[in-house]
Amino acid sequence: MLAFLPYWVEPVARYMVTEGLKVTAQIAGVAVLFSGVAGILLGTLLTIRWWPLRSLIRLYIEIWRGLPLIVTIFLVYYALPAFGIDIQPWLAAAVALTLWGSAQIAEATRGAVESIPREQHEAAAALGFGWLGRHTFVIVPQAFRRLLPPLVSLLVNVIQNTTLAALIGVGELLTTGRQQIETLLFPPPVGTGQDHSLAILGAVLITFFVISFPLTRLAAYLERRLV
Amino acid sequence: MTLAASSWSLIWANRDVLLHGLVRTLEASAVAIVGVAVIGVVLGAARAYRVPVASQIAAVYVEVVRNTPILVQVFFIYFALPQVPWVGVRVDEFTAVCLGLMFWGGGFNIENFRAGFEAVPQRYREAGLALGFGGAAIFRYVVFPIGGRIAIPPSINTYIAVLKNTAIAGPAVGFAELTQVAYGIIEASLRTYTVFAVIGVVYLLIVWTLSALIRLLESRLALPEARR
Repeated sequence: MLAFLPYWVEPVARYMVTEGLKVTAQIAGVAVLFSGVAGILLGTLLTIRWWPLRSLIRLYIEIWRGLPLIVTIFLVYYALPAFGIDIQPWLAAAVALTLWGSAQIAEATRGAVESIPREQHEAAAALGFGWLGRHTFVIVPQAFRRLLPPLVSLLVNVIQNTTLAALIGVGELLTTGRQQIETLLFPPPVGTGQDHSLAILGAVLITFFVISFPLTRLAAYLERRLV
Repeated sequence: MTLAASSWSLIWANRDVLLHGLVRTLEASAVAIVGVAVIGVVLGAARAYRVPVASQIAAVYVEVVRNTPILVQVFFIYFALPQVPWVGVRVDEFTAVCLGLMFWGGGFNIENFRAGFEAVPQRYREAGLALGFGGAAIFRYVVFPIGGRIAIPPSINTYIAVLKNTAIAGPAVGFAELTQVAYGIIEASLRTYTVFAVIGVVYLLIVWTLSALIRLLESRLALPEARR
């Protein structure tokens, strides 16, 4: 089908998709899931007016949003083994992305939860719900509508930032692309003896664009529809 | 804690190297931020005024920047662009870092300034017309100062992000800014993460200071009529 392409393209592309893109999806999936859960939890707790808890969560948010993400990745990657936790590089990247992502979502959740009118709290309280039940069954589900655009934006940002895992040697899409560039530099039969950086890095750029563009459109659409 | 003691002394022994890395971070950020500001104002104005061709190019540029990872952008500029006939030039690491950050930050800053220029109330422009100003004079004396003023707080956010992203662009091309230097120290010694905690604090101090500046400016720079 793609016979007009040079012979090396098919195996290279196959490897990058089946190996690289798989790891990219793995990191992004784990990071988005845990960021969402932890972020919504922390953001909801942030609406409690008790200053020790508040300032603790505030500190968490400001630290992980303030640090350059790559520094967080290096920090997690090198610090966890020092505490006796043996962790695979891809998971270290996912943990760092989760710290950063949960801080983003916590901030958004606080706003969303606080936007729910106080009558909703009072009505739920009148039905006999305690703080936990009120938030689990009444407030957070309503706030979730407003959280959809930031969650989709987070997904886009997390997918793009999975590439940072390349800097700690994780074999995600960018890394596999760069490996293939190196391999193709070898003379035949191993490689082609040529530098295919332009084609391969271009393909990586286009892949990310094709994945992200519909999602940023979706986030913008949700933003207009739901707010 | 002998391990902790040794890692602190390791950092102390490398303080000059780390300080030099910080200087390189600030240098690259400063150069990139100037470029980002120029791109933001020029193409932001092109977007706000819907200048044919320039506006469409700027729109595509913004979408490309937003929807692709900065690390891939930097790799592309450093490794792939030199292969493009006619336009391709191999640049040194410092230039690559600055160009990469300019390209990335520019895309976000266009949106900041477009929004700023578009937020200038129509009647301000009409007031300019009533004074006999032409289109260029209205931009120079009305839209640019007022719209630019509205765009300053969000654009500083972009500049902070540019500074933070030196930590990505540096290690990507092997430019010895703060993070790359810290990485070098780790690789050359026992694997002590303390050095990343230390540079993390440095980054946080810079970022938090600039964020506080934004909050200060936000109320100061708001248009009088937007103040409550």
